[in-house]
Amino acid sequence: MSRCAMQLKIVSRLHILRAEKRMTQEQLAREIGVTRATVAAIERGDYNPSLELAFRLARFFGRNIEAIFSVEEGER
Amino acid sequence: MKRYDSVLLRVFLWGIPAIAILAFLAGYGDWKSADPAGWQHLLNKGFGIILALWMGLALFLSLRLILSEPLRDAVLARLTFIRERDEREAILTGRATKATFLMSLAVLILLFGLSVIQVSVYRVPPDRAIHGKTGMVTLGVGFNLFDQAERKIPGAVVPRRDIFSYAGFPFSSSALILILIVGQILFYNISVRRLIR
Repeated sequence: MSRCAMQLKIVSRLHILRAEKRMTQEQLAREIGVTRATVAAIERGDYNPSLELAFRLARFFGRNIEAIFSVEEGER
Repeated sequence: MKRYDSVLLRVFLWGIPAIAILAFLAGYGDWKSADPAGWQHLLNKGFGIILALWMGLALFLSLRLILSEPLRDAVLARLTFIRERDEREAILTGRATKATFLMSLAVLILLFGLSVIQVSVYRVPPDRAIHGKTGMVTLGVGFNLFDQAERKIPGAVVPRRDIFSYAGFPFSSSALILILIVGQILFYNISVRRLIR
């Protein structure tokens, strides 16, 4: 593995968008077809969703993926 | 899972308490000295047939578990508490499975090592002393392809007083397989819990 490998930290705005829609984690999870634990993990930053799930979220909120997820760079 | 697999599985599972009840009833009283045309004999014969069928079914289902992926997924996934309701759980399952596989491999390597080594610490009578020393340690490595081969402790022909003797793994192969099955399920679940945290 490269010593200079950059670790990209994905920052999620999911909890803000969910709060705007006044939805619970359970409701959002049901809408996008995952478990509540997965929504919670994405919001905490413990889990980076797949591209497919990211697109599903983007479509659900009617925004671009970049409006939900952004990237912070840091060296590993 | 195919329909007949599901039916056979239910018959097998419901058969467990039925077998236990029948075993209790068949063992009740002295059926060997009972009237050959009596109910005890009939019950015993009937139980024998039912047990044979149930054992055959158990063997068939064990083979089906190896051959049929849907049955394996439906039965073993439930038995081992594997849950893959979404992509995150699928990833966690993959990681925990890898950890379990590597841990099992490490345990198997250790067990293999323990099964082939032979160690014996003992004392021999003074007339058998070597260079004036009566305390002995013998070491050996043995590998047998089949279980029928007798394990021989090195130097067992010399009259001696054993202090410590180890010649292979003490558990039976059935006990060892059961330990490995239970160990794998436990370690998988511990891995999943650790990953979720």
